[in-house]
Amino acid sequence: MWDNLSLKEVVELTKDPFPSIRKWVKEKGKKVIGSTIPDVPEEVIHAFDFLPVSLIGTDKPLKKAPSRLPDNACSLARSNLELVMSYEGDLFDGFVLPQVCDTTQHLSDIWRIHFPDKYTECFLAPRQVDRPSARYWTKEEIERLISSLSNWTNRKITDDGLNSSIALFNENKKLLKEIYDFKKKNPAALTNKELFSLIKLSMQVDKEEFNKSLKRIKDGLKPQKGEGYTDIVLAGITCDPPEVYALFDEIKLNIVADTLVTGTRYIDGVVAQNGNPVDALVDRHMNRMFFSPIHDNVYRNFEEIKTLYKENNAKAVIYIHIEFCESQEYDLPDLKNMLRKEGIPFHVMDTEYQTLSLSHLRTRLQAFFESLKGGAL
Amino acid sequence: MSDTQKTEKPKKELTKSQMLSKKITEDYMNEAFRAHELGKLIGYTTAISPVEIFVAHDIIPIYPENHAVANLTAKKGAQLCSVTESLGYTSHLCAYARSDLGYRETGITVTRGIPEPDLFLACNAQCFTLTKWFQVLARRGNLPVFVFDTPEYIMDKKAREEIIKYCVIQLKELISFLEEVTKKKFDYDRLNEVMKYSAESSRLYKKFLDMAQYKPSPISIFDALIGMAIAVYRRGTPECVEYYRTLCEEFQEKADKGIGVLPKDKEKYRLYWENLPVWFKFSDHAKLLGSYGGVILTSLYVHAWSFEFDLDKDPLVTLAENYVSRFSNSTLEDRAEMAMDLFKRYSLNGMIMFMNRSCKAVSFAVPTLKDVLVKRTGIPALVFESDMGDQRFYSETQIRTRIEAYFETLDRLQAKVA
Repeated sequence: MWDNLSLKEVVELTKDPFPSIRKWVKEKGKKVIGSTIPDVPEEVIHAFDFLPVSLIGTDKPLKKAPSRLPDNACSLARSNLELVMSYEGDLFDGFVLPQVCDTTQHLSDIWRIHFPDKYTECFLAPRQVDRPSARYWTKEEIERLISSLSNWTNRKITDDGLNSSIALFNENKKLLKEIYDFKKKNPAALTNKELFSLIKLSMQVDKEEFNKSLKRIKDGLKPQKGEGYTDIVLAGITCDPPEVYALFDEIKLNIVADTLVTGTRYIDGVVAQNGNPVDALVDRHMNRMFFSPIHDNVYRNFEEIKTLYKENNAKAVIYIHIEFCESQEYDLPDLKNMLRKEGIPFHVMDTEYQTLSLSHLRTRLQAFFESLKGGAL
Repeated sequence: MSDTQKTEKPKKELTKSQMLSKKITEDYMNEAFRAHELGKLIGYTTAISPVEIFVAHDIIPIYPENHAVANLTAKKGAQLCSVTESLGYTSHLCAYARSDLGYRETGITVTRGIPEPDLFLACNAQCFTLTKWFQVLARRGNLPVFVFDTPEYIMDKKAREEIIKYCVIQLKELISFLEEVTKKKFDYDRLNEVMKYSAESSRLYKKFLDMAQYKPSPISIFDALIGMAIAVYRRGTPECVEYYRTLCEEFQEKADKGIGVLPKDKEKYRLYWENLPVWFKFSDHAKLLGSYGGVILTSLYVHAWSFEFDLDKDPLVTLAENYVSRFSNSTLEDRAEMAMDLFKRYSLNGMIMFMNRSCKAVSFAVPTLKDVLVKRTGIPALVFESDMGDQRFYSETQIRTRIEAYFETLDRLQAKVA
């Protein structure tokens, strides 16, 4: 189903992958575990023979979630809750929900209470990563997840089994990285929307099949530099809806680097193979890029963005702010000042799941880049 | 005689506990402002944090939240929060944080302010927002922050054991961190002594809150909110124990004499309050509810400092067990159990559920918690949305109307039962 997709089909499926997941599940007789972002070790879920699916919101109307989470809750959290409460809940056999902030903590409680008959486990990610205890705790949590899935399924996984899943997921990430690297130098070869659709869909469908599509797409890419592109760095957590990427394409912006959980932070999560797989997953967790809720040092975020900007010779940084993401909102004023002091052109785009006004975003984005080209920034 | 003098109300004589509270607070702040002179450091910390470690290591704990409460109660919220918003912070962040950042920009405060920090201890058992707020402050002075990470105290027994282990490891890391910052060895004997005071004052604080069991209740949540201040900032000290002993004696005397917040025949509705208070409406709410025969007796929030330290255990273990299991870090199911315990023990017959825009950590649980409590108690709930400190999000007419309508409902139900 996902092994021979064209770029166009990938973009189409990314809009709403769930009908195809339903069909696949029926055909294969597999079970599905949904996870909100970030950092659930999906390789573990896969090793138990489930399809791990990242939940990254929906563009369908809000109906039930507002009765559980008020309008000042992170719009991604509300959107994910809506996705399962109103639309796709029955598709999932269980959920593994990471807790990284107040909202995600409550979300997993609300979720569990709403789905009393489904398997619901939380992944208590450490909210500090600089001390030895964080490593200890990450390992405990990964082992607890393995034990929880094992109790639920009455099955055990072996190191070899987990390493096989890791290998499969690594291959996916390597393919995505190769496509990303190609796109950096050949902005006209594929659009931003296409590139990020490939990443997003990778987080939601069977990798064994989808890797075949990725390989075919990668092999079919033809160098196309194009003209008039402006290289940018994209910062933030997620960037939705996909039409935001289309806006970038429209004004010929070329994303050459990013810090998104649905972007490079995912692709960079290649795990060391053939050793102790749990230790390798812990290493991955500890070495991941900055993520506002679990890293306490915004300087690190600043340094990462600055390095990406300089190394890629980008012309500006665009920060995607998810409306009501408290964590981003505490970091943003200082981050903005740090980047401005460094002379890095910086633009914040306020996005909101389900209710975003694209025309407003377009106008602001166009104004920013017109000023940039005129040297006014 | 001038007009002002004519209208001036006679000053109410302070009770023994009030005088004690005043003295403890003044001594504490005087010492804090002279900390460096005394060779001590100022550690900003969150109201729910293992402050016993600070006290044992002679670090003076300062709670920016308490200072924020003073300003918000005095209706400075909108003014201070607006200043912070002009710096690029959004209007839906915590009003404590926004008013504090506003204070730091303008110096506006109704108190003498608070001393500048040397280091930070942020415990996320209370909320995640405090961690982020402290990080903002720490960046300004390039100061160290220690995040005491308390994963949600989920209901799985084995997971709980692991969570406690993780927290104990972190408390050891905290001690090493403090030793490094202060260049002074941590004294575990001193910690044991501090724990004794903390355990005793917590026991007495709980006894004080439990005065709400009497009918009529001699204590309302407003007494509890005033009374909890010393538990927040002076636990681990002998004066804290003395304060709660005095407070308990005073309220026990009231209870023994049958003196209630409302007279026995007027106390119709014994109410549960969910969330922090609307600080700037503190006394207005008490008066309004009183006029309907309602008195708010308690909330999970005031019980957050009713620690039950076990002195037979390793102090780090009992600290970890207590701090990680606060209501704000418990599952929704456990929160409901904790609230149900209060409903039963205090014979509550009404509930006000406040959706506090400022406090996501408490408020996001409210819709589900309300459903659970209504179902389990059969008591209707009043839900209203506002902000604990920013008056711009408070609609007087709307909230007053809802309160009136709620009491009409309760009256109707009571008449039906009768």
